[in-house]
Amino acid sequence: MATVEMVGISKSFGSSVALEDFTVRIRSGELVCLLGPSGCGKTTALRILAGLEKADGGRVAVEGLDISGDPPERRRFGMVFQDYSLFPNMTARQNIEFGLKVQKKDAAVRRSIVDRMIDITRLQAHADKYPHQMSGGQRQRVALARAIATAPRVLLLDEPLSALDAQVRETLRDEIRRLQLEIGVTTVFVTHDQHEALAIADRVGVMSNGRLEQLAAPRELYERPANSFVASFIGTVNQLPARALQSDRWQVLNRTVVGNEAGTAGVEGVVAVRPEHIALDRSDTGPWTIESTSFLGPMTRLVVTQPGHQPLLVDLASVEAAAFPVGRRAQVRLRDDVGQVTVITLAPLASRKSS
Amino acid sequence: MRASPRRGPRKASLVLVPFAAFVGLFLLYPTLVVLYKAVTPGGALGFDALERALSGTYRTGFINSITLSGTSALIGGVIGLLLALTVKSLRRPAWLRPTLDSWSAVASQLGGVALAFAFIATIGAQGFLTKILKGFGINAGDYGISPTGFWGLVVVYLYFQIPLMFLVMMPAVNGLRETWREAAAITGSSAFRYWRSVVIPLLAPAALGGVLLLFVNAFTAYATVYVLNPSGALVPLQIRFLLQGNVITGEEDLGNAIVAWVIVLLLASLIAMTLLQRRTLTWTRS
Amino acid sequence: MTIEDVAARRGVALSTGGTRHARWRSVRPASVVKSAFIGMVALYFIVPMLAMARFAFQNVPMALLTPEKLFDGWSFSGLWTALSDPGIISATKTSVLLVAFAIALNLALLLPLAIITEVHNPRLRPVLSAVTLLPWVIPPIALVVGVAATFRAAVPWFLASDFSLVPFYALWAMPFTYRALDAGLQAINARTLYEAARTMGASLTTIIVRVIIPNIGAAIAAASALTAAMVLGEFAFASLLLKTTLPTEMVNYQRGDPRGGLALALIVMILTALALGLVVRSLRRRGLTVQTAGI
Repeated sequence: MATVEMVGISKSFGSSVALEDFTVRIRSGELVCLLGPSGCGKTTALRILAGLEKADGGRVAVEGLDISGDPPERRRFGMVFQDYSLFPNMTARQNIEFGLKVQKKDAAVRRSIVDRMIDITRLQAHADKYPHQMSGGQRQRVALARAIATAPRVLLLDEPLSALDAQVRETLRDEIRRLQLEIGVTTVFVTHDQHEALAIADRVGVMSNGRLEQLAAPRELYERPANSFVASFIGTVNQLPARALQSDRWQVLNRTVVGNEAGTAGVEGVVAVRPEHIALDRSDTGPWTIESTSFLGPMTRLVVTQPGHQPLLVDLASVEAAAFPVGRRAQVRLRDDVGQVTVITLAPLASRKSS
Repeated sequence: MRASPRRGPRKASLVLVPFAAFVGLFLLYPTLVVLYKAVTPGGALGFDALERALSGTYRTGFINSITLSGTSALIGGVIGLLLALTVKSLRRPAWLRPTLDSWSAVASQLGGVALAFAFIATIGAQGFLTKILKGFGINAGDYGISPTGFWGLVVVYLYFQIPLMFLVMMPAVNGLRETWREAAAITGSSAFRYWRSVVIPLLAPAALGGVLLLFVNAFTAYATVYVLNPSGALVPLQIRFLLQGNVITGEEDLGNAIVAWVIVLLLASLIAMTLLQRRTLTWTRS
Repeated sequence: MTIEDVAARRGVALSTGGTRHARWRSVRPASVVKSAFIGMVALYFIVPMLAMARFAFQNVPMALLTPEKLFDGWSFSGLWTALSDPGIISATKTSVLLVAFAIALNLALLLPLAIITEVHNPRLRPVLSAVTLLPWVIPPIALVVGVAATFRAAVPWFLASDFSLVPFYALWAMPFTYRALDAGLQAINARTLYEAARTMGASLTTIIVRVIIPNIGAAIAAASALTAAMVLGEFAFASLLLKTTLPTEMVNYQRGDPRGGLALALIVMILTALALGLVVRSLRRRGLTVQTAGI
């Protein structure tokens, strides 16, 4: 268990900037996901933390001690890679044992730790198999066991689930979380899959272009995105025209709500509204028309259109949606329970009105 | 099984038959005749031809050939492997790797007459290098570095052995993943331990297989040694003598017996090589 | 401790110093050793070629060569003499025809086989790949004894012609020809192409001729170039069966005119190397690898 700090990290590869003044502070025992589109610098940040890459500037500290100059082998971390990275000439058991041998633990201790690792990762049936005899999910469990066997101060996971198929991915995701809570290791998990990040993390750091846009708990991230990038990257949003009133009030559709930025009164802007925050009213003279519906089980997603406007996505409970077949006309409004949280300014520009 | 379930196999046999007949007639038939004759010298079953083929001057021939092929395979194997590892670790001149790839594909084919000529011009009595070394007061011939000496032949053979080893090892060396090294480093392992417990066990089968291939390659080389030293006591040259002088009966049986031993040797080497390579494949495929 | 470490410990970002420092570290003694090793290997491969070129094109005997005379007396006269020798000319013709016949025979046998196998019986692929490796196990120096023991006695007229070499050369070109064709077929997903064309009503012959063959041109070219290189370099079999091909005639010719012989050998080698190098590189660009090992 350890706190981790990366402060003011910058890194360029040639002329392309991978990280710029990147700062993140992670609490002891916390699981933080670094989330972002490919090329946003999340993997570079992880590799700098691991010591596999040297930062151009900034510092990395664990438990308050600067480790920026330490090579990876002295950091006492554990890491899981996207491509499993198991040593192909060793069985699962030998792979897990490798780090313990490096630590010069004696045979009996090694054996008991390895046995425990095999138990908690449920690999009993595969302990003596070679990597090529195992499925992707099994291999990644071995890699996980190998990474935590040495009781690392920090566990690093670099897109550990990307190479797996959907079902395995979900199971293993929950298993990683269960193990992490069980052993309480501070963990940094890099992924480009927002569902993964939101489901597993204590806090999620959303990154783009080498910067940390927002670091917050999943719920806060979803409900109070700090800026337009986070809003549109996490979940689905509609872009609705809005008018700035005094201070931070905005007029959106039928309601006045609090935005996270203030606009000059009278200025036109665009705000992001989640599909579940829009309600429909049946109205034969309403300006909106139901164009299509997709049934998603408990919810139904409707696409509603109006000439001259961007189509809107509206999520209704499926029971409610039955009243809105394709072709039906309707009026849209913001739901009453929407307060300040879900609406943010995208760009307070009059020119965006047409879009 | 596909679009035309019944016509498929018939068409396949239509093209399979001429192929099989061709291989059977020109490869298997002569080979089996030789093997049969080797165990039936003078028309009756017996092993004296096979015994004679491994005694006296022929024994010397086998020993010389195996020593020469083994030495050039080992040295060529080590240098070729080091070359592959070095090239993988050096990223800097971007042209280095494609150039070496192409060059090796070409040079591994360059055995034969031209290569022999090149080395006559280099380490022959009137050779370029011989002359330069003489300028330093070194007589290369004293060290066996002449086209007819043992080490001279090794030096010549290395010219196709090194590139061949490079070609054979490059896929295995490329199969070493960067993340293995990183995983080892994060676990606290030294570079030395990583090499000892991962790289060497991984490369060993491929490298051994490569050395066996080089051995076979050198053992069957004929043109180079024929041009450089036609009277040398090596198996391919002895086969030539027996073949061209097959007036005396019984000599023919001896030739067959020698070829039988050669085939056994090659077959054993190539089977071992295939097994070793299969092992590497299953490892690196994952 | 390096400057960067100190700076980092104080929380100072040293962005320019950091990169300079990293660049300095990349020139370590290890990389000097590596470069030196590559340099030595390169020298080993280049010196014999230079020595051969000197012998072939510089009309100064080694005994009289001094550093001052290094650039005297260079000429191609030896090469022209060799190239106008009637023996060499006719041997070249023979070898070129051997190349053409060997390629034709090989493709006639293996091209339909590889395609039909891939399209209809993919399960036969490993079998074929093993069978086509057989010629490897029986190299020329071994097979020649068998051929002498069988064909020479049974059908003496067959071995009388220089072109009796064709089937055997085709045989030794089989391992890499089959592999090149198979790799080509895999790369273009021949089975899917075949099925797509079938659904449009094309016949097997049409598919092979109009769809598959045009798409594996690179593989066919590679196989042909390798066959050509093999035939132009094969010495043992031809020599032991007393045939006159370019390699055997070169050895004969060199006995009377060492300089011309070497010049000729060098030129043949350079041309072969260039052709092979081109093929290898063009294939690499298409993402195909060539297996040239083990002839």
